[in-house]
Amino acid sequence: MFKAIVSADTLKTTLDSVSVLVDECKIHLEEDGLEIRAVDPANVGMVDLSLSADAFESYEADGGLIGVNLSRLEDIAGMADAGQLVSLELDEETRKLHIQIDGLEYTLTLIDPDSIRQEPDIPDLDLAAEVVVEGKDINRAVKAADMVSDHIALGVDGSNETFYIDAEGDADDVHLELDRDDLIDLSAADAHSLFSLDYLKDMDKAIPKDAEVTMELGEEFPVKMHFDIAEGMGHVTFMLAPRIQSN
Amino acid sequence: MEFAAFADRARAIEETDADLAVVAAVADLFAAADDDLETLARFVQGRAFPAWDDRKLDVGPSLCHEALARAAGPNVTAGDVEDRLADVGEIGAVAASLDLDGQQGLSAFGAGGGDDLTVADVHEAFVAIATATGSGSAGAKEDHLFGLFNRASPAEARFVARLVLGEMRIGVGDGTVRDAIAAAFLADDDRVETGAETEGDDEGAQLTLSELGESADGAGEVEEDVEAVDEDAEAVDEDAAEVFERPSADAVAAVERALQVSNDAGRVATVARDAGRDGLSDVHLEVGRPVGAMLAQAGTITDAVEAWDAVAVETKYDGARVQVHHDPDGDTRLFSRNMEDVTDALPELVEFVADRVDIPVVLDGEALAVDDDGDPLPFQRVLERFRRKHDVARARESVAMELRAFDCLHHDGEDLLDAPFTERQARLEAVLSEGVSESFVTTDADEIGEFEATVLDAGHEGIMLKDPESTYSAGKRGKEWLKRKPDVETLDVVVTGAEWGEGRRANVFGTFEVGVRVPESTNASADASEYATVGKVATGITDAELDALTERLREHVATEDGQTVRFEPAVVFEVGYEEIQASPTYDSGYALRFPRYVAVREDKAPADADSLERVDRLAEN
Repeated sequence: MFKAIVSADTLKTTLDSVSVLVDECKIHLEEDGLEIRAVDPANVGMVDLSLSADAFESYEADGGLIGVNLSRLEDIAGMADAGQLVSLELDEETRKLHIQIDGLEYTLTLIDPDSIRQEPDIPDLDLAAEVVVEGKDINRAVKAADMVSDHIALGVDGSNETFYIDAEGDADDVHLELDRDDLIDLSAADAHSLFSLDYLKDMDKAIPKDAEVTMELGEEFPVKMHFDIAEGMGHVTFMLAPRIQSN
Repeated sequence: MEFAAFADRARAIEETDADLAVVAAVADLFAAADDDLETLARFVQGRAFPAWDDRKLDVGPSLCHEALARAAGPNVTAGDVEDRLADVGEIGAVAASLDLDGQQGLSAFGAGGGDDLTVADVHEAFVAIATATGSGSAGAKEDHLFGLFNRASPAEARFVARLVLGEMRIGVGDGTVRDAIAAAFLADDDRVETGAETEGDDEGAQLTLSELGESADGAGEVEEDVEAVDEDAEAVDEDAAEVFERPSADAVAAVERALQVSNDAGRVATVARDAGRDGLSDVHLEVGRPVGAMLAQAGTITDAVEAWDAVAVETKYDGARVQVHHDPDGDTRLFSRNMEDVTDALPELVEFVADRVDIPVVLDGEALAVDDDGDPLPFQRVLERFRRKHDVARARESVAMELRAFDCLHHDGEDLLDAPFTERQARLEAVLSEGVSESFVTTDADEIGEFEATVLDAGHEGIMLKDPESTYSAGKRGKEWLKRKPDVETLDVVVTGAEWGEGRRANVFGTFEVGVRVPESTNASADASEYATVGKVATGITDAELDALTERLREHVATEDGQTVRFEPAVVFEVGYEEIQASPTYDSGYALRFPRYVAVREDKAPADADSLERVDRLAEN
């Protein structure tokens, strides 16, 4: 059983955070909210999302599991105006999701969850450095790096207490540094890892500009980025594996 | 099976020259394949899906280059990949030379799913790539490809790249797969048992690859038929032949038959392993699943009369080949000679058959465009209909299509591939009283000559001459069917390059460079250039056609240098000419005199284009 009403904004933000990595996902319809975990086909980027029942206007569920085509669902959500409400109801018999936006009714055929890529394990990584930045700073860093390269190094200088990014192009380089004053918070320790901008750009798209993003970094280790959505009633964690520099 | 294990074996097969050693190695692979047998029996020939399957990867070189570049590390571009390709000449070697190992998977850190690529993973990704359609599908395809390359080691990437582009080139042809299936699963009973016990164990009774590779000799040519294998027996090193048990002619024939009717090496291999010979004899034609069309060689009336006791004579229509699959309790489907489903483009043929036939049948025939009087229209008009996806109803108003069935491959539960032509013809006539290509059997060359004149007068292309005793060799171009066309010849050639026009025509291609297939281009030892240029075509093309051709060929541009562009082989032109001259100008050694564009052969892929061998033959006459 699943029946919920949610604002179009919340629904779109939720879907965007996942669709930047995968086309299809499993959604756990738990009693206290939605949970989604997904990893991209290359096994490089991962998302772990929870959206509390409190983020909904109304919410009833009893622990079911559905598989959805995300772009289809995003298209439907896109039919709603910002303030509009979207009503969702699962038909257990037909395995279809009935979606209603004002007078618009859409019946979405669900995907067999077993046919969707297995959900990833979430590791407990011991990442030494932790930086809290605004979403817009990540956006700025990604944009700057993208001008010169397709990879970006994220690092923390433990002794200078700075968070920095480096991007090396064939001809041009970009360096950006944020010190303790520019950051919301910093637990300094030396850290440095190289990441694919393809992934980071996609993840950046899903990070609200005004969000407080907690970024955990290590030495040639994955980066974890946590932030809230839906006014704190939803939470997203992105994790991205690094590229090891061979030289 | 881990994909790495397959890649190792494929590499070893690629480096093996002797035919028998290749068969042994492929048989060994099949025996160890377990659940992946179906997939591997296709992969060895660079096929992602069975030939009859509608699913296609549809990944062009540029998409593959993009995905490789993305996986290859900081600031590698598709252009870099292409530069390297120009140096190395082969995409597998390029993929293997890139630094694909830098990007870590999450699993290296205890997260995400598994990281080791299996054969099943690759197959799964291919399904995802093939089923990505619509807007944004190119991006989705690239993401999946990138994912594969990212997870692949350099050794694996070599074969992922080749599979993706459908150019496996490890010297495994249809004949090799057939013999390997027979050798792996249809040996004498005691050997089958041994095989079952040692499944997955490389220490089994069979010879290891390296031993064979070193000791055996041979040209490494891909075997095409049973006879050739037998003839070559003496040529193979005796040591190798002693250890590797050659499959019996019987077993090979059983596999061959099943392959012909099913068109699916994966399925045949699995049936051979799980149900043996009995299982194979239960493999039948399935209505709705296309089989390879039997093809004709060029020949003369004299050839036919001298070769056979009698000659079956038919009209050769200037239409497009169709295979009609009719199930009265289900669908009527039409397939092109490339086994593409063309049902939706030709509704009147579907209606024609559905209205008249109430038993399951598979018919072979020609789809012909006719005018209001029922007289044949030129081939270009056929192409306005064939494979059309949009506006079918409107096209139907302007060009009417008719069926001329000339063979019956399946009749009410009975496969007829092994029945003689005359028997199949009788069945065809029992099924349809109209829409059938008329035929008669004669021994009189003059009678055939008169018929030819009548047929040409009526506006048809020529005549077909068939051995009345011959069976239907699916997918083969045999000596049992001859096509006789009048002396004005055309060649079906692959467009390999072009030059931009000048002045008013600066935005369209002006001159097209065309080539013919170089035989044995499926052989691993053949170099990258599979086509030999025979001329440049610039006349016979209307402005509208030129616009359409430019638009279409733009997608296939491989490289561009000033005025000159090179294409990936994709489009086949029918080109008319006055004669073939020996000429040092082009690498084929020939030049077409007064070549003129006739049409795009929509029904032909580059692999179906005319060969250099044929040009040799034409030039001699």
